[in-house]
Parts: sequence; C-alpha cells; structure tokens
Amino acid sequence: MSTPAIPFKYMPSPLFTDPYADAWTVPFWEATMREQLTAPKCTNCGKFRLPPSRWCAQCHMQDLEYVDLPGTGTLYSFIIVRHALTPDQKDYVPYIPAVVDADGAPGCRFVSNIVDVEPEDVKVGMPVKVVWNRVSETLTLPFWTAA
Amino acid sequence: MKDKAAIVGIGQTERYRRGASLPKSMMDMAIEATLKALDDAGLTVNDLDGFAFYGGAPADPGSMAYLLGVPHVKFAATLTAGGSGAAGSVGMAAAVINAGLANVCVSLFVLQQVPTGRFGGSSEGPRRLPSAGGGGAYGGSTNVSPEAAFVSPASIMSPGHNFSMLTQRHMYQYGTKREHFAEVCISQRNNAMKRPQSVRQTPLTLEDYFAARMISDPLCLFDYTMEDDGAIAVITTSVDRARDLPHPPVLISGSGIGGTGNNAHLLGNFQMPDLSFASAGARDVAKQMYAMAEVGPQDVDVALLYDHFSPMVLMQLEDFQFCPVGESGPFVAEGNIRYGTGSIPVNTHGGNLSDFYCPGMTHIVEGVEQIRGTAINQVEGAEIALVTGGPSSIPMTGTILKKDR
Ligand SMILES: [Zn+2]
Repeated sequence: MSTPAIPFKYMPSPLFTDPYADAWTVPFWEATMREQLTAPKCTNCGKFRLPPSRWCAQCHMQDLEYVDLPGTGTLYSFIIVRHALTPDQKDYVPYIPAVVDADGAPGCRFVSNIVDVEPEDVKVGMPVKVVWNRVSETLTLPFWTAA
Repeated sequence: MKDKAAIVGIGQTERYRRGASLPKSMMDMAIEATLKALDDAGLTVNDLDGFAFYGGAPADPGSMAYLLGVPHVKFAATLTAGGSGAAGSVGMAAAVINAGLANVCVSLFVLQQVPTGRFGGSSEGPRRLPSAGGGGAYGGSTNVSPEAAFVSPASIMSPGHNFSMLTQRHMYQYGTKREHFAEVCISQRNNAMKRPQSVRQTPLTLEDYFAARMISDPLCLFDYTMEDDGAIAVITTSVDRARDLPHPPVLISGSGIGGTGNNAHLLGNFQMPDLSFASAGARDVAKQMYAMAEVGPQDVDVALLYDHFSPMVLMQLEDFQFCPVGESGPFVAEGNIRYGTGSIPVNTHGGNLSDFYCPGMTHIVEGVEQIRGTAINQVEGAEIALVTGGPSSIPMTGTILKKDR
C-alpha cells in the first residue's frame, strides 16, 4: 500500500502530531510506520487485548507479543458526526468514527474512522480494509475504508 | 438493608437554563438544596451526619460541613463515575445507615454548566491525543494514557458520540428504528408538559423530531439531554426514625451498585462482549437489585430510567427486564411506556430530556413523589418505583423505592 499524496475524504480533524506510547504500545506504532497493522496478544494464554492494557484480564500476566494482521475486517458499528462540537471541528464534518472487528485478532476491536466512503453508503457488517495516513515523520495512523 | 432506611426529604433550587445560575456558586446551590431537603424532612443541620454522593456531586462534603456547621460528620463518600451513580447514592446511604456508620445522610447533585465546565461535555480546543469520551466527569484530561492513543485519533469527543455507537449496533442487531427513540422523547415531553416546574414545555411531534438536526447520526438534537443549572438534594434516614417525620417514608428496598469487568469501559474503548455491546451495562445490577428487594420487573409500578440519550432508555427497558433483549423498540411502539395507558409508565416527570437535567436527581425525586402519592402525573396506587443511574462507567446503579407497610 502506498501513502496517498492527498488526505482522505471524511478524515477527522488532525488534533495531534505525536504518538503517546509506552513499552506496551511502542511496537504497534513502530509497525504502523511500516504500514503494518498488528495486534497485541498475551504471550502466556494467547488472548488478544485492545487497547494493549498492562494486564491480561484472563490470566493476569503482563507480557505481550504483537502479531501481524492482514489489515482486513468487518465494520462493527459507526456514527456519522454531522454537527461540529467545537469551532475547530467545523471544517471536518461529516466524519465517521467507527469500530472494526479486525481479521486475525478475535476479540479485538479497532476504534478508528471510515474514510473515502460516502456516509450514506456506510453499513454495519460491511467488509473493510486498513488505509494509512502518514500524519508526520513520527506518526502514521490506520484508517479504514470499503474493502 | 432491605426496607431499613427511607428517603424522608427532598430539596431543590430554582431550575436554570445552562449558565443562568450565575452569579450563584455551585456551593451556594448545594447548600440551598440541602437546607430545603432537611426542612422538608423535618430535620436540621444538627441531625445531619452523612454525605452519600455520586459523580463527585460535585460538591466537597468538607466544605459543605464547614459552611453548614455540621457538628459531627460520621460518613462522607462519593460513588465513582458520573450520573451512573445517581440511584446508587441513596442505596449507599441506606447501607451506611443500616451499618450504623451514620444516621442521616444527604445525597445531592449540583450542576452549573458554564462553558468551561460542562458535565459530560465535549473536549474543547486544540490538544494532543485527547482521551476518549470527552471532557468533564468522563475524563477530559489532556494527559492521556498510552492506551487512550488507540481510541483518541477517531475524534470521538463526547458521551453523545459514544452512545451513538452503541445505538447504531442496537439498530443493526435488532432492527430498532429512529421512530422508537422518538417515542421516548415524545412520551416524556408529554409528561413534562403537564408539569409547571418542568423546563421544556413546548409540544414535540414526530414531525418535529424528524426535522431536527442530526448531531451524531443516528442521534439527533432531541435524543440528547439538554443542559441546565441547579441543585437537588434528598435526605435518607432509618425507617424507625422516618416514621416519626412529616412525610410517609419512602423505603429503600434494594439497590445494585456495580457492573461487570468486561463491560466496565462501556464509555471508552468499545471492547464489550458482543452480547452486551448494545446494552446499558446494567443486567448484573438489575438482578442484584431485584433479588435484594425480593421483587421483579412485573411488580414495578413506575420506572424512572436515566435518560442522557433516548436510546439508553430502550436498552435499560431490556436490562431491567421489562422486555426481552432486543425487543425494546417494538415494546415502546406499542405504547407501553406512556403515562396513563402504558403497562410500565416511564419517566412520568419528563426525565433529563424534558423535565430538568440534574444528572439523575429528578428521577429520585419523582420516585419519592410517586410513592408519597404527590406526583403530578401520579400513577394510581403506585407502591414500587424503580430509579436508575445513567449508563456509563462502573458503577451502574439501580434502586427500588417502596411504599411503607
Ligand atoms: Zn493472558
């Protein structure tokens, strides 16, 4: 996948420039720089967990490994923000926050946005794929679009 | 603690639209409501010895005790999270009284939604990686955790956005329609229109509903609670003492204050199990509460369900077992929640949506008035009322109020 030269349609406002990460989450952000979607998995019991919390709720161990995902999934739910909550949002509505069930990581949902799809065409259950938004030299964000 | 404590007094300030309470302070209003509630109960500051709050109130018991001159404070605590604790605050008061920690507790909420401090409002202004769920009591700090970086970039900025996400899934899973949300809004407005003290009196039609602007599709303007200023307090004491006071005691018969760990981030990261994603997160709490009170949904005469967003009333009808999971849409479409004709009248005062937004306190007050028999939209012969707190983070709460003897 190549990095698009122009921003995606229906992107949310760019409110940030740097990832805020710790030892548990750095591998995810490093992989995004290579445009690779990953998900954290408990090295002890194998349970995926998002966000990559510091404890596994199933076995109470802390260690994680990040596994590569195919970057496809199913749209679990979404909303269409049509009303700008704050003045700085005015040029960015509508935008489409979304929850995605990612293939290859059962029990994990990515919270992101649907881009490049007309709002009226977005449906729960539709197949989606990840697209990459290179925000800065240090931050690349996954968005999702119709597969 | 079943039936061992009772609500004996209610007190309210004037009801203001957002920002109109200035130059009063929040503490001014908290004290005023408390004094009025004590007066209604036939008690004084000398009797008051407990503070059982939720959502931070947001008023500091220490400051209140100082300003009121409370001689002995024997208990002071606030339930975590926000409006979800409303109904549980009186449950906590009952537990505290039953345990002998205190004798007379006040529970209250005060709201002053000046632009810099809107409860449940949006996260405003430029920022780096805002926390999910927006500002105010829902955790709008700009110092976010690395975990929040997995949610924040989506620009999910307010509780309304979060609950729209749950709602969309409910519509997908069960075929719930916007007409069903409209029925919640319209039935509650009809109730408010009969009450002079309710803030929103303008008639609301289905046509008005569908003409309103969409805020976060699928939710429109009328699905969102509006914003107000004011304070409401209630007084709880032991049932033995309550029987000597001016009003008939309103027994606290059962209360649930909790939830389940895998649903605990209802408002934040959307990782709830599939079967409880589109819910109010209150199924556990409902079971505990009914078991304690030894009643079931079929025994409830009036349901005061926290309504920050209209679809959450539907999901609570399911969680508190008035209809099977997934069937709340058709249930309300059949007229079941209407005052006067429905099988379970809901929010007979108009709720947060149309009566007055003082996160959940009006629901407690309406429950008390229904059991006292003094409600304006009185449910004839009402003996059992359900009061709930607003779906959000743990604790979700629900309380059964009951007529004495
Ligand atoms: Zn594990």
